[in-house]
Amino acid sequence: MKNLKYSEILSLNKELCINLKSSPYRITVLSNIIVHQLKEILEYSLRSEGINAYVMIGDYDNIVQDSFKYKGSNLIIIFWELCNIVDGLQYKIELFDDNKLNAILKETKSEIDLVFNNLKNTSLILFNKFTSIQFSNSNINKNNLDKLALKLNQYLEEQVLTNAELVDIEKVIVKVGINSSLDLRYYYSSKALYTIEFFKTYAEYIKPFIMSANGKSKKAIIFDCDNTLWKGILGEDGFDNIEMSTKTKDGAIFSEIQCIALSLNKQGILIGLCSKNNPGDVNQVIKSHPDMKLREEHITINKSNWSDKITNLRQIAKELNIGFDSIVFIDDSSFEVNLIREKLPEITVLQVPERLYYYPKMLRENIGLFYNLSFTVEDKNKTQIYRQQVKRESVKNEFSNIEDYLASLELGMTIYEDDNSIIPRMSQMTQKTNQFNLTTKRYTEGDIRNFIMADDSKVFAFAISDKFGNSGVTGLCIIRFDNKNQTADIDTLLMSCRIIGRNIEYAFIDYLMNFLNNDKIESVTSRYIKTNKNEQVKKFYDKCSFSLTKCTDIIRNYKLSLNRYKPKNYKYIKVR
Amino acid sequence: MENRIKDVMAAVFEISKKKISDDSSPDTIKSWDSLKHMNLVVALEEEFKIQLTDEEIVEMINYQLIKLIIKEKTNK
Repeated sequence: MKNLKYSEILSLNKELCINLKSSPYRITVLSNIIVHQLKEILEYSLRSEGINAYVMIGDYDNIVQDSFKYKGSNLIIIFWELCNIVDGLQYKIELFDDNKLNAILKETKSEIDLVFNNLKNTSLILFNKFTSIQFSNSNINKNNLDKLALKLNQYLEEQVLTNAELVDIEKVIVKVGINSSLDLRYYYSSKALYTIEFFKTYAEYIKPFIMSANGKSKKAIIFDCDNTLWKGILGEDGFDNIEMSTKTKDGAIFSEIQCIALSLNKQGILIGLCSKNNPGDVNQVIKSHPDMKLREEHITINKSNWSDKITNLRQIAKELNIGFDSIVFIDDSSFEVNLIREKLPEITVLQVPERLYYYPKMLRENIGLFYNLSFTVEDKNKTQIYRQQVKRESVKNEFSNIEDYLASLELGMTIYEDDNSIIPRMSQMTQKTNQFNLTTKRYTEGDIRNFIMADDSKVFAFAISDKFGNSGVTGLCIIRFDNKNQTADIDTLLMSCRIIGRNIEYAFIDYLMNFLNNDKIESVTSRYIKTNKNEQVKKFYDKCSFSLTKCTDIIRNYKLSLNRYKPKNYKYIKVR
Repeated sequence: MENRIKDVMAAVFEISKKKISDDSSPDTIKSWDSLKHMNLVVALEEEFKIQLTDEEIVEMINYQLIKLIIKEKTNK
């Protein structure tokens, strides 16, 4: 988008709008200055990622009232410009006495309270922090505008809702440069402050939040090895001559790259290798090279061999059970980079820059791809959980019959009912689960909290343990109740793909149907909504004794009279 | 140059290029309001790598005048 002209963005945005069929993602921008040019720029930036964004700009200088009017949007963005809290504040403020300054501070704080109160149930809020940087003079002392910004930001940090993220707008302004960010001509004539260049950079800056809320964050980073994780070619230069230590100029760069990878791994991003090398050589480096930072416990999957990279990357996606669009791949060779961009276009491919000293900066600029709105215990333990999975697969081969194998696992299921303590994880599952997900509705933490608080809905989740370890919270079901008519509706049913194949889904349905039955519910409705990724659960409800009531290409509606439900009663799954 | 101006106007006002004539103005193009005028200005500035003055912005009230002003600006 950086290289597109504004008029080109306008035209392309219109074309994209015609082609997107997914349900609309509604964004409302509340502001006390004119920011209407953000509309098409933000729409284009998101539509080009497959998010069918509709941006609406609230009325000029009407943040408090609009926060009530548009609280139902999927996302609210707030541009609260310090210089326009009072008309011309940037120059008037130096003339105000303390009483007047305190009055402005108090008034703005109470408006912030009102806005937060109105938006407490909104799915997601991006609130730009206050800044005086546009009108700061070069004097080293802080002026009144600087001080007011500091105080208001402090208040924001204290009061911020869990469904809101504070956006460091100064980072955007710094990236663009103050002069290129501002169009003062329009500020004085029309109260529009920012340039097209600013809006383009702003749209890119907030994109990771929105991608995460739409379940489009990346899950794995796959590295080539030679000249990508270390300097040199292992097969030619040898174990002793590859560089990745801070002792050499180039080595220091690769050391930094490995540290960035480690920090991603700490946040639950899976790390893999895909490299043309002798597998034994690479394993030796991982195990015993003194400068190597990425060790066996960090690397979930290692495809170091002589097969082509397309085959290897396909295999990686399959074994990790994730889509190509969840993968970022890094390589130094233009040949490999172009090949993968052409053959597996859904994979995000990054190339090691020719000028090596730009490599860490390049990776850091792309960290947003992995941004995750909710960070959970499950993320922290993810590498370990995937490793347990590999162990289970190997034990599986020792049993001739799958039921015997499942019985040997000592499976336990813990059910959580409307549990506030796991809201981040539950929200995250709705955002990240694609395959075993019947309706693929994405919910933020605020949405989940609303389901828990409401009288006419319940949120069930489960955790699975077995003799190899605990998989953490891995399944979710949201049920809406109509107690008057004694009916219920399954809004969401999903399960993490790493526990598929153990009949856990049936044990969960057994539990739920039993719960509903005890709750005097007579019939349950449910549906399957088709996406590109959930084909495997198309007939799931058929297998659970539900009857198909209506069926189109995209949606399959079901109904079940609870007295006709046939429980599966798998004895080897202990429900707690 | 005329072609490029028409492209920009078509994109900004969301109309077909063919509909733009010398007389095109806020009276004939419905979507041409003050906010869209702002969009037109920044899009033209970007397209022709120029910076328009306050006076020029106010004068650009139909296609013919836009052509004149852009021509003058780009010849300098």
